[in-house]
Amino acid sequence: MMISFSIAKNKVKYSLLVLFCAYTYFLWLMLKITIQYFPVNNDVAFLSIKQDYVGMLHYRIAFFIHVFSAIFVLLAGYSQFSERLRMKRLNLHRLLGWFYVIVTVLLAGPSGLIIGIYANGGLSSRIAFCLLAILWIGFTVLAVIKSIKKQMSSHRAWMIRSFALALSAITLRAWKFILVALFHPKPMDVYQIVAWLGWTLNLVIAELIILNKLRS
Amino acid sequence: MKVKHVCIFALITSLYACNTSNSEVTENVVPEHAQNIEDGDIKHNEKPSEIKTDEKREGIFSYYVGSFEAKKMDDTKSPMLQNKINIALDSMANGVLFGHSVVAGNIRTFRGPVVVKDNNYLAECKEPGDNKYDGVFTFTLNTNDETLRGMWTSNDKKLAVSERFYNLKKTDFKYDPSLALESTYGEVYNSYNAKTEEHEQITDDAGKINASQTELSKKDVENMYKRDLEIMRNAIYARHGYSFKNRKMRYFFDTQVPWYIPVSTDITDGLTELETKNIELIKRYEKHAESYYDVYGR
Repeated sequence: MMISFSIAKNKVKYSLLVLFCAYTYFLWLMLKITIQYFPVNNDVAFLSIKQDYVGMLHYRIAFFIHVFSAIFVLLAGYSQFSERLRMKRLNLHRLLGWFYVIVTVLLAGPSGLIIGIYANGGLSSRIAFCLLAILWIGFTVLAVIKSIKKQMSSHRAWMIRSFALALSAITLRAWKFILVALFHPKPMDVYQIVAWLGWTLNLVIAELIILNKLRS
Repeated sequence: MKVKHVCIFALITSLYACNTSNSEVTENVVPEHAQNIEDGDIKHNEKPSEIKTDEKREGIFSYYVGSFEAKKMDDTKSPMLQNKINIALDSMANGVLFGHSVVAGNIRTFRGPVVVKDNNYLAECKEPGDNKYDGVFTFTLNTNDETLRGMWTSNDKKLAVSERFYNLKKTDFKYDPSLALESTYGEVYNSYNAKTEEHEQITDDAGKINASQTELSKKDVENMYKRDLEIMRNAIYARHGYSFKNRKMRYFFDTQVPWYIPVSTDITDGLTELETKNIELIKRYEKHAESYYDVYGR
């Protein structure tokens, strides 16, 4: 009994370590994407094919707010789902939680909504990105309300959904990489696909995790 | 008959030898052409200047265009089996024929003795000899069917291709912005993938819009493969008669585009405002595709 318990514990530790490394690797990739735009450059990477919009001040402001703020919300992945941190240092959990909420609801979310209006790939991807931004802000606000109301399991569920959408930054790009490597689609075809695939699948997985948590 | 022919040839050759030694000043040597021209990055050009002729036969002075096909080659040096060549006959004086060839982004003058026999002009013309790829053209121009057939042998026998043959048709060149890419099929040069056992293919997108006539918008180009964008842009240069140094582009335009004639290695002055604008836009999307299409990111 003791032995099997410790093996299970080791397994959990091992998979957490793998997850930690993989997540850090993707954060590193995201950081590399972010620093392409630093110092502020209007004609590089993604912006080089957004020249119709770069001239608009509100687009530029939204874009750079999004790029330079969004990376910080991903840091919540390290701390906010740790039971130990929440148990032992609730104040730290709250502090980092508020940081995630403020960056999401005031910076990364609304700026994402604005640039979503001008997204590449036509109406379909514009709807996808705008919906993503609205749901992300909405889920995050709901999670805060639940937390204030001390409805902790609801708080947890909405935060899982919120963070699943935040992770679309990573998954959208991963899907694009995979689809291009496998099928060599045309650039805007793949963009339209990942605009949806990048976050809807995350939500499905989030629901499965929530269901699983409720059961246990 | 044959003996007579050889005699005339010998006579004219000797006349030519005399002629050149007496009048070095009239010599018209074109400086060696810049070697490293990438497509799009079009550089300085030296056009052979006019030579005064005392024996002008207007009819023959034209472009003769067709396939320049490898006959003797070294397979280990990745020879180009087929290029499109433009042999331009420019003038004739004292039994000497002057002309230049345009092939593979290279313009070379040539000159040599010519014998006129009925409807045939038999010529043996040498390129200046100061370029690695210089050699000798031996050809017969038939004024009846307006063809120019013959051989070319390189001075340096160690070249990838040391002998080529050609059967060219007299062709006029005029810039025509309406020329369209009718068949945009064809594989991308050197794109064979051993894993999939396939070549990359040019798709219909490459020719769906004529970038010499239609102003392109972002929507027109954002969903195109890099290889198609490249063809669309280079089709602009091809309409102006740009001779491609870049093998990938040359392979496509030389073999797939019937109207294409290599005429010049610098066509920048001839580009219209619309074309310049389109080129800029296409290049932007090519560059983006090159850097971001298959990497982690958007």
